[in-house]
Amino acid sequence: MAEAIKTDSVTIPTPGELFTALGKPAKPDWASRYRGPIAMNYKTRTQIALNLGGLIADGFIAVEAQDTQQVKNIGGDIVKLAKALGVSENILARGNSINQFAGNDEWSALQEELEATQNEVKASMQSHRDQDLVILVSLGGWIRGTDVVSGVVAKNYDERLGQILRQPELLRFIRSKIGQISPELQNDPLIKSVNNQLASIERIVATPFGQSLSAAEVSKLNDSVSQVMKEIQKKDQ
Amino acid sequence: MGRCLNFCLTSMLALALGASALAETDEEVAARQVALELAGAFSNDGFKLRDGHWTGTLARGESKVIAVNLYAGNEYWFSAGATDKAKKLTLAVFDETGAPVTGEKFNSGTKAATGVLVDNSGEYFIRVRLEEGEPAGVCFLYSYK
Repeated sequence: MAEAIKTDSVTIPTPGELFTALGKPAKPDWASRYRGPIAMNYKTRTQIALNLGGLIADGFIAVEAQDTQQVKNIGGDIVKLAKALGVSENILARGNSINQFAGNDEWSALQEELEATQNEVKASMQSHRDQDLVILVSLGGWIRGTDVVSGVVAKNYDERLGQILRQPELLRFIRSKIGQISPELQNDPLIKSVNNQLASIERIVATPFGQSLSAAEVSKLNDSVSQVMKEIQKKDQ
Repeated sequence: MGRCLNFCLTSMLALALGASALAETDEEVAARQVALELAGAFSNDGFKLRDGHWTGTLARGESKVIAVNLYAGNEYWFSAGATDKAKKLTLAVFDETGAPVTGEKFNSGTKAATGVLVDNSGEYFIRVRLEEGEPAGVCFLYSYK
């Protein structure tokens, strides 16, 4: 399968898929997984891109919680951060759709709309020659999603839940995409630090196919991704 | 409310197709419409549709393999659609070790789908193959619940 096509938009799952896998067996209290508001005025485009991905994951959490107001709040923040990156005006229409779907309790449509919003942002980045930032949006979403899920699994561990977090090839793919971005961005202190930490995270989630992560591995994963998450959302990098 | 939802869904589809059309040929856009129609049937059963998709052109006997990362406990439907020149399209799923994964199957001319319940998280490979017909635009996408 070495010749397989791997793309950002198909090969990287959405946070919604990860939350669906957790939701069935664990029935988490999603609202308890909210975090406080994040800054809207980061200085670098790399940090904005990473946080935009994290916000989209927050949107999926609010959808799981079926929390209309939280979805609307996050939708507004997504539009603000996307505008800070100078992406197209289409994102405004997406923001309006998110509000409408939330107002009508269209939770399934909202999951699709959140991903479509993310893809709209990425398409706009590509047309503005910001393609290096695309993988950072996906990465931000993966980190925030894994932060939440590993936290829930660590507290309620069983082997079935530990199986959800096994994803070595996904990490390998994300890291290979980071390896392709411009040397200038790779030298960005935040990217350098996140990439270094991803190397050790990849080792944690790399159990053989069919084998779950142990309780200790899940805790270690949660500590690691929480640390990366804090670094990403910290103001004044 | 129904009219509003229809309008929103139509707007979403137009935006989605519009954004994709920047990089895709007319054949590929048409193939995506076929794949979306097919995947729409699974939405009625609670499956959420991924916006991300792959499009390309396949000749008779040609196949492409697309890598996806799936989560244990989730159910998936993989859908492929092609333009009218295609006569028979097939899908096959393989796990990280290369072993075939069995599941429900649907085939009807320009459309094919396969549904699986995933026991182990990891990388999976979906092979899309044009068995019969002339070279055609093909689109692959998937849904989950």
